[in-house]
Amino acid sequence: MVNSTTALKNRWVSFDTWTFIPFLLSLILFGPIICLFITASGDSEGLWQHLYQTVLLKYIVNTLLLMIGVSISVLILGVGAAWLVSRYEFTGRKLYDWLLMLPAACPAYLVAYAYTDFFEYAGPVQNILRTFFGWQNAQQYWFPEIRSLGGAIFVMSFVLYPYVYILARTSFLKSPSSFYEVAKLYNKNTFFSVGLPLARPAIIAGLALVCMEVISDFGTVEFFTVETLTLGIFNVWLGMNNLVAASQIAIVAFIFVIALLFIEIKSRASKKYSDSTQRQTNQNKIQLPKFKSLICAIFCMVPVFLGFILPILLLFSHSLKTSYHQDWIKLSRVVLDTLMIAGIGSISIIIISSLTAIIAFYKGKSFLNKFTDLASTGYAFPGTMLAIGILVFIGLIDNFYSLIASGIFGNFNSGVLSGTILVLILAYVVRFQAVGYGSIRSGVTQIPNNLIDASYMMGKPFNEIIRKVVFPLIKTSIIAGGLLAFVDIMKELPMTLLLRPFNFETLATYTYQFAHDELIEQASLPALLIILAGLIPVIIMNKYLREIKL
Amino acid sequence: MSSQNTVLLTIINIIFFSHLSFAQEVNIYSHRQPFLINPFLEVFTKKTGIKTNVVYSTKGLAQRLKAEGQNSPADVILTVDIGRLYIYEDYNLLLPINSKVLNNNIPSHLKSPKNTWYGLSKRSRVIVTSKERVDTSKIKRIEDLANPEWRGRICSRPGSHVYNRALMASIIAANGEEKAEDWAAAFVSNLARRPQGNDRAQVKAIFEGQCDIAIINNYYFGKLKYSEDPQQQEWAKTVNLIFPNQGNDDRGAHINISGGGIAIHSKNKDNAIKLLEFLSGEVSQNLYGKINFEYPANPKISPSSELVGWGIPKEDQIPIIKIAELGPVAQRIIDRVGW
Repeated sequence: MVNSTTALKNRWVSFDTWTFIPFLLSLILFGPIICLFITASGDSEGLWQHLYQTVLLKYIVNTLLLMIGVSISVLILGVGAAWLVSRYEFTGRKLYDWLLMLPAACPAYLVAYAYTDFFEYAGPVQNILRTFFGWQNAQQYWFPEIRSLGGAIFVMSFVLYPYVYILARTSFLKSPSSFYEVAKLYNKNTFFSVGLPLARPAIIAGLALVCMEVISDFGTVEFFTVETLTLGIFNVWLGMNNLVAASQIAIVAFIFVIALLFIEIKSRASKKYSDSTQRQTNQNKIQLPKFKSLICAIFCMVPVFLGFILPILLLFSHSLKTSYHQDWIKLSRVVLDTLMIAGIGSISIIIISSLTAIIAFYKGKSFLNKFTDLASTGYAFPGTMLAIGILVFIGLIDNFYSLIASGIFGNFNSGVLSGTILVLILAYVVRFQAVGYGSIRSGVTQIPNNLIDASYMMGKPFNEIIRKVVFPLIKTSIIAGGLLAFVDIMKELPMTLLLRPFNFETLATYTYQFAHDELIEQASLPALLIILAGLIPVIIMNKYLREIKL
Repeated sequence: MSSQNTVLLTIINIIFFSHLSFAQEVNIYSHRQPFLINPFLEVFTKKTGIKTNVVYSTKGLAQRLKAEGQNSPADVILTVDIGRLYIYEDYNLLLPINSKVLNNNIPSHLKSPKNTWYGLSKRSRVIVTSKERVDTSKIKRIEDLANPEWRGRICSRPGSHVYNRALMASIIAANGEEKAEDWAAAFVSNLARRPQGNDRAQVKAIFEGQCDIAIINNYYFGKLKYSEDPQQQEWAKTVNLIFPNQGNDDRGAHINISGGGIAIHSKNKDNAIKLLEFLSGEVSQNLYGKINFEYPANPKISPSSELVGWGIPKEDQIPIIKIAELGPVAQRIIDRVGW
């Protein structure tokens, strides 16, 4: 496996200004995070002592258990399902291929609401069990408590595994078939010797997203009262009126996630794979016998059912129960606004993460690469905390602007950014940059170095290489990242709630005003719409993947 | 103009001008849900012709206002819970208001000593008990819930929720920190299950037989009683409502407020004052009871007939600001006893 790009890379850095673009973009993205660090640098008024003596250990243990539990389940579900649909032919494979992505459209906290109603003591499941077995009360039988750590792991796993699934699947499809053939010749297990190592960057990128999502989740853990660090952050901030200590906890959690990521990147650095043969990825899928085919179908069915079909059915049945007068005109406006903001947001993310990921990879040295990595970690903060970083950042820019404007026009006290939709778009980019960046970055690492080397030797300029070589090869990664970002923005709640302009609603905020009061009947129709609108990008992605026939 | 240009102009318009205020507007940062405040705002606009613009968020609006500084478009802040109002004042984000109407309508223990915020409605923290399984004569005071008699029979929302934190603060104010912590520890040891769910869920748990006693905000009782869901109406039917601490020498039931103030950099001050005055006036004060089963903060307005039907509690009269000041102390106790 050739690796001469490094040497070439260094030579080019010296005489172009390409690296300035990712540096500047990353600086903007990192700005709000720095602002959060500044917020955290104040005096915490001895609160750590109190926390250490009382609740801190509980917060940490719960957070770790939640992360480990969800990680294990999403790896089994996501990688397992991705491997099956990309390597084998079984009943319903084509259908599962895209059905498996659908749970990504379901916000975890809404699924938590629906499942609590379904699985708790008064819910239909336990009612049926009681009627069937003749039990009278809760003391006569054991049933897992849905409002618990286990419940949170369950709910989060089934809505978050698509992050791993989508990225792993893209990677499995792109793995050169020659590698699999070699493995077969040597009678090695194709999954462990080829599939998994090649897809590792993609799988880890997906897993990192899942972990960041878990550590920053507030809605689900609040509803289930699982006392994680994020729940603690809010108790300290709102309960003790101590934003400094709250942001310090957020930063500790953040550093923890970043440390994990760096350990993984370091351990991966020693292993480089790239295909030096002509790319031949049109793998023939292995036809399975009937019994095995059924097992595969069931394995794929379970996450689709629990992460998508059942929550939809539950929400649907709730939405029928209410006679709440829906303002249809308002609701359709909300749908349009949601699609618009998710569209603008995800396109911005794709553009920015392409620029940072591609240029940093080919042009940047170690520092720039680390910096662009770091700038895509906004995902690890709880949404509301990151939103505060954004507010401080925007406030600084606006104050600077009015200072200058006052100098020119006289008394001028109106910012350009505060209260506009640009604040929201910046927030989405900072938070979900990880989604686009992770996907594109893992795509870039899979491009064989010799292709780039050859292009350089032919004297092609960098921008042409990007356009003609890199871009076509990572198109699927870009689309996968864009899809995830779109769905993520549609579901996003805490930042949208806090940063939006006046009278602006997305489906998530519209749903929340009811869900906040546990008015699940009123909340279920807009919640269903979030999920339905989330299907649009999934369908586009699916159609696109078929057209290009990887 | 080509359609592309139209789209482009629309986007530019939305991005750069959507936040600019025009004449006769008032911009509201609200901690109350739109479906609860819209009925008020519609009447206000109809009466005054002043358009209202709302951003609703449960958390962080004070930080938003603070970060925006003088560039903030906000005029009026509407919140639930005294703790939040207090944070705005603490950050110096509120403008002292000079309004005879407000001072006339709102009693002094429900407003800021500096006239920066005013309570607009009241809610009481009450005890609900199972009609079947609890003898109501045994529970007269919130302190009674610490009796070992109730071991394994009480359900509760997490202690760190604002409503419970405020209740905890009121107990500290009445009995001192040490006694309050003893009470909280005993209360927690009486819990039937890990604290979870909102106030609604506690009543449901009594209905299901998981526990017999819970603490809720009074309006949840009304929301359940008149719920669209017949099942929730059943939950309400299974419980008695007890207003605690009603004895002759006792302090009265703990109350909390929803309230409002004016942003310090408000650019529509007159409209903002008009809105607050409207919310403290007769029409709105009646609406609070009608829409959300809350008590009017204006003593000249009598509570809705539904509320009168449940009995009007004697209220804890301590200045509401004390509750906010004791919030952090209360949270520390809650952490220590694991509520």
